[in-house]
Amino acid sequence: MSSSRFSTKHAFPEGRWPRAWLDAVQVRFGAWLRRRGPVHPPLTLGYRQIYILPTRFGWLVGLLLFAMLLGSLNFNNNLGLFTTFLVAGIGLLSMHIAHRNLDGVRVAGCVPGQAFAGEPLALSITLQDTKDRIRRGLVAETRGLPTAAGVDLAAASSDETTLWIPTRQRGWMKIPRIRLRTRHPIGWFEAWSWFWPEHKVLVWPKPADQAPPLHTAGSSDSRSRPGDESDEFHGLRDWREGDPLHRIAWKASQRHQSLLARQFTRPERDRIVLRLADAPGRSLEERISILARWVMEADRNDCEYGIDLGTESIAPGAGESHRIRCLNLLGEFG
Amino acid sequence: MTGSLTPTTVMLVVAAFLFAALPHLAAMPPWLALAIVMAAAWRVAVEVLALRRPNWLIRGLLTFGGLALVILHYGTFWGRRAATVLLCVMIAAKLSEMFRLRDARVVAALGYFLIATQFLFSQQLLFFAYLVIGCALVTAALMRVQRDADHVAASEEKPAPRAAQAARVVRDGFVLMLLAVPFALVLFALFPRLASPLWGMPENALDGRTGLSDEMSPGNIASLFADDSPAFRVSFDGPPPPRSERYWRGPVLWRFDGRTWKRLFYSNRAPERTPRPGPGARAYTVQQEPSERRWLFALDYPVRAPEGARLTADFELINQTPVTTLMSYDVISQPDFRDSVDLMQTMRRFALELPEGSNPRTQAHALALRERYPDDRALIDAVLTWFNQDDFFYSLETAPLGRHGADEFLFDLRVGYCEYYASAFVVLMRAAGIPARIVTGYQGGFWQAADEYLLVRQSDAHAWAEVWLEGQGWTRVDPTAAVSPSRIRDGARSALSGSEGWLSGEWLYQLRNQYDRLQNLWNRWVLGFDAKRQQNFLASLGLDDLPPGIKAALLVALSGLVLVPLALLLQAATSGRRRPDRLERAWLNLRGRLRRAGIRPMIGETPLELARRSADRLDNGHELITLSREYSVLRYGAFRSENAIIAFGRKSARWRPRLRNPSSLKQS
Repeated sequence: MSSSRFSTKHAFPEGRWPRAWLDAVQVRFGAWLRRRGPVHPPLTLGYRQIYILPTRFGWLVGLLLFAMLLGSLNFNNNLGLFTTFLVAGIGLLSMHIAHRNLDGVRVAGCVPGQAFAGEPLALSITLQDTKDRIRRGLVAETRGLPTAAGVDLAAASSDETTLWIPTRQRGWMKIPRIRLRTRHPIGWFEAWSWFWPEHKVLVWPKPADQAPPLHTAGSSDSRSRPGDESDEFHGLRDWREGDPLHRIAWKASQRHQSLLARQFTRPERDRIVLRLADAPGRSLEERISILARWVMEADRNDCEYGIDLGTESIAPGAGESHRIRCLNLLGEFG
Repeated sequence: MTGSLTPTTVMLVVAAFLFAALPHLAAMPPWLALAIVMAAAWRVAVEVLALRRPNWLIRGLLTFGGLALVILHYGTFWGRRAATVLLCVMIAAKLSEMFRLRDARVVAALGYFLIATQFLFSQQLLFFAYLVIGCALVTAALMRVQRDADHVAASEEKPAPRAAQAARVVRDGFVLMLLAVPFALVLFALFPRLASPLWGMPENALDGRTGLSDEMSPGNIASLFADDSPAFRVSFDGPPPPRSERYWRGPVLWRFDGRTWKRLFYSNRAPERTPRPGPGARAYTVQQEPSERRWLFALDYPVRAPEGARLTADFELINQTPVTTLMSYDVISQPDFRDSVDLMQTMRRFALELPEGSNPRTQAHALALRERYPDDRALIDAVLTWFNQDDFFYSLETAPLGRHGADEFLFDLRVGYCEYYASAFVVLMRAAGIPARIVTGYQGGFWQAADEYLLVRQSDAHAWAEVWLEGQGWTRVDPTAAVSPSRIRDGARSALSGSEGWLSGEWLYQLRNQYDRLQNLWNRWVLGFDAKRQQNFLASLGLDDLPPGIKAALLVALSGLVLVPLALLLQAATSGRRRPDRLERAWLNLRGRLRRAGIRPMIGETPLELARRSADRLDNGHELITLSREYSVLRYGAFRSENAIIAFGRKSARWRPRLRNPSSLKQS
């Protein structure tokens, strides 16, 4: 059923030829790949997922070999022929080795990092050997991008490789098809597999290059009030019943002959609410971009800040997780 | 992110190139070879000492300078030697701009080509080692380049020193090459050969390789005496001919300009009469080394020309194309045959022609002889006796001759070798009115008794004379034999013993003869494996009548068959698993037997746990428990005795699981 729906949708692609047709072919190709077997990590690469073709250099060597074959045959030069066959044998073996090098590699998972729009996003891919073989020169790449550095795997071990994926705009982004390839041992054949990480990544808005200065709102009185461990260490005081055990400063207590507890304070900070309405800009994107800049600045200035986008808002707060929450909201908004 | 070339890689690529170019370097003029080696060394120095990279000007100069040097020296690109030297020069120039992975790859891969081209010049046994080592080195270089291309981040452990890295990759190259050998052998045996070439070899090899020339001027043959390389090998169907009859006929020379003997155009016609094989005929197979010339050699008188060659009126054998690879041909010779009983007037005139006004003393001497001996036979005998009795000497160390060569030689110098004697003798004969001509070729040969073949070396080159006698036709006369009978009896070697510049010692000579036996086998089984041999080989396997499609399928199937053990070898080579020791093997075998009996060992299960679990389902479970205890003690105990391990191995090998039958299982 799904295939019939698929075909009606893509059989007659609209739009300008050949771009639309090429896209349609791409989509169909992807669908065909998916039908051949699992393509989402975690997956173990087997013969259904591994493709192999000569590289450009491989074709060149093939041409060279053909010339050698013709010449040797013509002059009935038996050592020349033997050389040709030996090199052909080496080539054939290298094909087998390239395939073996990928066969049984497990793409255990992909963990995307975080990125602002326009910055590359780090995708860390964990590769694992499942067949107790040494793997050499596994390289991950996506279309039109510089490839990651190659990875070697010791037998029955795992390692990570990081692929940088460019981002263009904020919002949810699908990670493109990733190609894991190897040209081990002599680069005449390339064995590869495609896989799609199922993740969608939220790309944060790009902080505006220029933004009006941050409006600080609220009281600026910097009286300290007691806080918890996440705050700054303030000093020691006598232990009182009810203080948690892990706050006891054992070393200091030993010196003082009485139990001392560590005391923390939270410095009173500026509190601001960043409003979409306050941000100048012609379009929503520009304004969100300015908000993103404010978030970054507020975070750097150690303010307590909240966001108000009109329909959605986040109460003031601070810290790494708060910043991520804010940026996520900005990324998703709209 | 593509990686960049590392110094180790550059060194390996340069080393592979230099090794592949080695025989080419030896064959080119030394200054050019030196330039190439310097270019390679410089490229390595740039990498290791971090010198400045050459700019476009230097690179262009190197490329076009090299091109110009090759043209200047060889005058052409055409021809095998010039072309391969050019290839070497261009690769060396390419080294100067080899800073990208792509260039390094191309340079390395051209190494294979360079190796293959060497076999256009020589396919000696020695070069098989060159082939094998060269291919392994080039493969290692390619592997190394690929490592750079993959740009694998250095592992956290400190990187191995450069030499160790190189040694490891060279070892890997050898392994890959060796694994490819069986495949190459199958293809070699079964790949169809061309019965006739598609195109001809460029004739001007321009290698200055010595072989018998088709003209004779002073010093021509002497240059061959120092060349101890084989000219051809002969295996006879019957016993070999006696030494005195081993005259291998080559170019026959008529025209003399006072200095150089040349062939006669009329010699190229077909013989009027050919010998009929009868009693005394000799059948033999000649395996001729590449000579770059078209001459084939046979005993007097070949009955017919081998395939692809023709027989001339002078009973020379001329091949259609120059002999550029090892070539084998069958000949039948009939010794008792009268060549040209009737001599045509034109031919007689050519056989008597002498340059005007040359050699007056010889002419006078000839007339005097004529008066004393009216009979041709008697005159010839008189001359040979004169050579023998008077103080004529056979030696390589002699003086060059001037305008009246025969005069100077016969009356003043009297020291020379076959060329001198043959030339002076023919001049004397012609002056006396006896038709005479010169025959060049080889005389003698070394009989390899163990393998029953005759080895004829370049140093066996010889020149003798033929005179035409009434009623007998052309008759061989060897004036050298009159002067130095040992030259004919024992070969040039013995006649010249004691002279300088000759082989330095008997043992070396023996060693070379032994080596030639190997070379002979090599020639017969490897180099001589042509379309005909292949057909015979397939026929001996009963595969000759198959249609081509089936043959191709067979080729593929056999190659596949070769790949199976290869895959297993590879498995062993790339597997990260260590080999289990004797004790572990014994236990693993035991586990295997349990598994086949239907009891699957579980992951993480200790031997004892496995045994206890299995014991319930086995009649002899208690034995298994004992065995597993023993195993644990041997494996993990403080005391390890080899004898105990061996005993355990024996005991466990005898043990077989006996499954309890289902009914008793229910009861328990």
